Amino acid sequence: MRAFEYLSPKTLEAASAAVRTAPEGARIIAGGQDLLGELKERIATPGRVVSLKAVPGLRGIREESGSLRIGALATVQEVAESPLVREKAPALAEAATSVGTPQIRALGTVGGNLCQRPRCWYYRLADFPCLKKGGGTCFAVEGDSRYHAILGGGPCHIVHPSDLAVALVALDASVEVVGAKGRRTIPIADLYALPAVDASRETTLAPDEIVAEVSVPAGARSAFRKFREKLSLDFAVVAAAVALGPKGPRVALGGVAPVPWRSREAEAALGAKPVTAESAAAAATAALAPAKPLKNNRYKVPLACAVLRRTILAAAGVADPGPPAPPATPAPTKKAGEDF
Amino acid sequence: MKRVRRSQVEIEGKLRERTEVVEEDPSPPWDDRARLRVAGRPHPRLDGRAKASGAAIYTQDVGLPGMLHARILRSPHACARVLSVDASAALALDGVRAVLTQENAAAIPWYGGTTRLLERTVRYAGDEVAVVAAEDEETAEDALHLIRVRYARRRPVLDPGTAPRGGKPSVYTRGNARKAVSGAPVVVAGSYRTPAALHQAFETHGSVARWEGEHLTVWDSTQHIFGVRKELAAALGLPLHRVRVISTFMGGGFGAKNECGKYTVFAALLARRTGRPVRCLLTRAEESLAAGCRHATVQTLRLGARRDGRLLGIEHRSLCDVGAYGTDGPMPVGGPARTLYRCAAVRTEEVPVRTNTGPHTAFRAPGYVEGTFALERAMDRVAEACGLDPLEVRLRNYSPGDPRGFRYTRKGLRECYRIGAARIGWRRRARLGRRGTSLRGLGLASQVWPAGGAPPSHAVVKVNPDATAEVLIGTQDIGTGTRTVLAQIAAEELSLRARDVTVLLGDTGAGPYSLLSAGSLTTASAGPAVRAAARDARQQLEELATGLARGKGGRPGPREVCREIGDAMVIGRGARGPNPEGLKACSFGAHFAEVEVDAETGEVRIVRYVAVHEVGRVVNPLTASSQVEGGVLMGIGFALLERRIEDPATGRGIAVDLLDYKLPTALDLPPIEVLFVPGADPRATTIGAKGLGEPPIIAAPAAIANAVAHAVGADLPELPLTPDRVLEAIARGRRAP
Repeated sequence: MRAFEYLSPKTLEAASAAVRTAPEGARIIAGGQDLLGELKERIATPGRVVSLKAVPGLRGIREESGSLRIGALATVQEVAESPLVREKAPALAEAATSVGTPQIRALGTVGGNLCQRPRCWYYRLADFPCLKKGGGTCFAVEGDSRYHAILGGGPCHIVHPSDLAVALVALDASVEVVGAKGRRTIPIADLYALPAVDASRETTLAPDEIVAEVSVPAGARSAFRKFREKLSLDFAVVAAAVALGPKGPRVALGGVAPVPWRSREAEAALGAKPVTAESAAAAATAALAPAKPLKNNRYKVPLACAVLRRTILAAAGVADPGPPAPPATPAPTKKAGEDF
Repeated sequence: MKRVRRSQVEIEGKLRERTEVVEEDPSPPWDDRARLRVAGRPHPRLDGRAKASGAAIYTQDVGLPGMLHARILRSPHACARVLSVDASAALALDGVRAVLTQENAAAIPWYGGTTRLLERTVRYAGDEVAVVAAEDEETAEDALHLIRVRYARRRPVLDPGTAPRGGKPSVYTRGNARKAVSGAPVVVAGSYRTPAALHQAFETHGSVARWEGEHLTVWDSTQHIFGVRKELAAALGLPLHRVRVISTFMGGGFGAKNECGKYTVFAALLARRTGRPVRCLLTRAEESLAAGCRHATVQTLRLGARRDGRLLGIEHRSLCDVGAYGTDGPMPVGGPARTLYRCAAVRTEEVPVRTNTGPHTAFRAPGYVEGTFALERAMDRVAEACGLDPLEVRLRNYSPGDPRGFRYTRKGLRECYRIGAARIGWRRRARLGRRGTSLRGLGLASQVWPAGGAPPSHAVVKVNPDATAEVLIGTQDIGTGTRTVLAQIAAEELSLRARDVTVLLGDTGAGPYSLLSAGSLTTASAGPAVRAAARDARQQLEELATGLARGKGGRPGPREVCREIGDAMVIGRGARGPNPEGLKACSFGAHFAEVEVDAETGEVRIVRYVAVHEVGRVVNPLTASSQVEGGVLMGIGFALLERRIEDPATGRGIAVDLLDYKLPTALDLPPIEVLFVPGADPRATTIGAKGLGEPPIIAAPAAIANAVAHAVGADLPELPLTPDRVLEAIARGRRAP
């Protein structure tokens, strides 16, 4: 880990200024569950680390005029356990419950979860100078892409790692951020941008902008489902969140794209009509129709389709009759370097 | 009296001829009639509290005054020539005390002389290039980034299919297998693959070295303190008596810590150079790159059988990717094919191939886990082809003896089948089926493993004036509970409680030689030695009692004898006797798994698991159950999740932390029911016990794969059973008639 200067200002404005004025780059630290790993691996080598710990008023979860207001420093565990979240935004509570391990949930924060960096193994290893680290190559294209993007990829093919973001996109949440130009509120979907815009980062925030609060419209029926290879300490292979609110259905997928992926195709397929087993299946198929898998991740297409279909049914409270026809058959996936 | 004999010994599944110095052990074996009070009963670990509270000092915890910290610079290239190493900037960094490179380090031969400690050619991404010793770990780490290395890269060999041979193939034949299979009415053929898997012991590899004048003391996380002493002394050109190796507590090895590591030599060299103690520990990433693995296999298998399921021939060939160096040779992947079933015509061949990947090493039942997966998968297919129940096929091919022509001391596999089948409700198998997207399946697999232990192992028992005792033995407790089990054995013989006995192990300076803790050897080797020493002490006490007997006071009891003789203490000595001539001692087991497969996602959930083992006497049912649970856990990981992953272009490891290298967690485990076939095996050892260290992992992947295959109605030719492979199998099962 590179040595750094550590600051702990008392206001978000001061924290933003501390980032802005850092001569050799700065990173914000909240729970540290992602940043510490990056520092240790020297993926991040800031000259300054700015803690939000001393900033008051960033922790609570409250309801205000039909919305849940969740402070950026609320821990993932607090969200998972909050009776308010469980009742008014169940998809978010389910997503929070699925994060990491009890230890990570106890320290990891909502703001940190939304701003965490991708888990792509090429990004995480200093020996691979990938696009995201300012290099010229996405190593996943020719390399091992079993956990990479099937939607929205290119030129970098990471998947966004946040579970909370997937739920929040479905729930039509917005995020309040604080920076040099003061405070602004943006829809959560606008917090993220595809690598085609800028492969070096996942969010649209200016370097000195800090997430202060998340606002979630309360009361929509919603559900979140996550498929992972093991039941703890694992990121989503695919995840889905669905909310059925007054403005119509909203569908988001995780683990499949460089951003939490909103599927307008699925939303259109569901329309305004009550969800049925058939419409859920059709919506899931529509969501994955644009999928462009890489060499090793074709299996994620039927997997995402299944997880989304079930999530839609769970959100609508419709019993699962099983898939309508045999699920799509993945072509044999022979992995490079494994064929002996 | 010691004598010399030629003997065959089977360790880690490899049969070897050797000259053995044996010392007869006159102890009458503890058979089923032996009335034991302490051995054979559950006893909590004597060191459990110390371990749980953090009081136990592992190698990682050793902190010495003035100790420096070493970190290793490793090659990022899978194949390269090191043109130059410039460490001047690193040496100039405040706090750096020494840097070892190929230019200033002794040219110590390594990997069987195929390379040296630090060499100009690096053969895998992770190969050692330089070592830094600094005042703290962070400074050492910083210094690594200041070392300038110029490499001339070469194209690495990564595909085992086209890789060069890495040594001589190991071939075994009995009968004419090719003819027997080709002429058989039922032939099952298949290709089965298993991945390279990592040990991932909780405690990473590491050593702390300290010189006191000409004497070197090394704390090491090792499975073989005496082996490390011997290799380290040879590497440094020291006489054995000047090297002491200590491993008081050890956080797991699973075969990857059987030998002296480069890190141990680095610590010793840097300590000598700086005049300070030096600690050299591997990080988790280094543990994943450079600490050994279970080698990957591609196995081709042909079974020929009669229509009634009886085997006529087995042909088994395995390509073993031993990685760079890989001087251990291929592991006995053909072992199960050679010994599990009665079959007159068998040919097995293990072919080592060499790639530019991390070298392999032994890993808990090396070869047998992989070979059992392929063989037991194929046996289920024989059953299917003959319209038989899988258990029935195994019973029809049951071999009461070792089919290579040896008798067993005891074989309790049939009882394992019976107990396990009853417990899991095997008869339900035919009725299991599909409910919605949920596919249910039941599978079983069998296991054989040479586990009778061997000489040499020596022990000393000191009896104190207060009638407590200490056992001195140069074995090590690698986390299995050896300390507790040996205390129970000594206590049994001395009529004491286990907690009245302290076992001093893991120190070459304190205890006499005992074998490495590998090959399921420890209880069956060290156990009888401790018993013999304790028995010797007891007999001395009895003789003294006769001498001390006087008048109407009568003959004093052992406690009084101890008090009376005071510091003229009784010292018992014992050695592990020879193995029985012409008999093989193996442990057996059968595992049963019930799974639920999600037909839409390929997710596999194990809903029930029953593990039954026959290991002779179970000295401590508590630690034995833990051992089985741990083995099953490891087997579940190998079946469903784990694999070492290299970038296909560069050969660099990319799943090098415990997020990407997926070990099962507590949430992923089913309830594991552990059962043992009752009764001792007094022909195997004087304590009636056989080994249990490795057996619990052997059958697990096969049992799970068989259950999943039953659920999806298709073969599963490759581990781990990840969703993509399961979905693909489901699709194949659906297409099948």
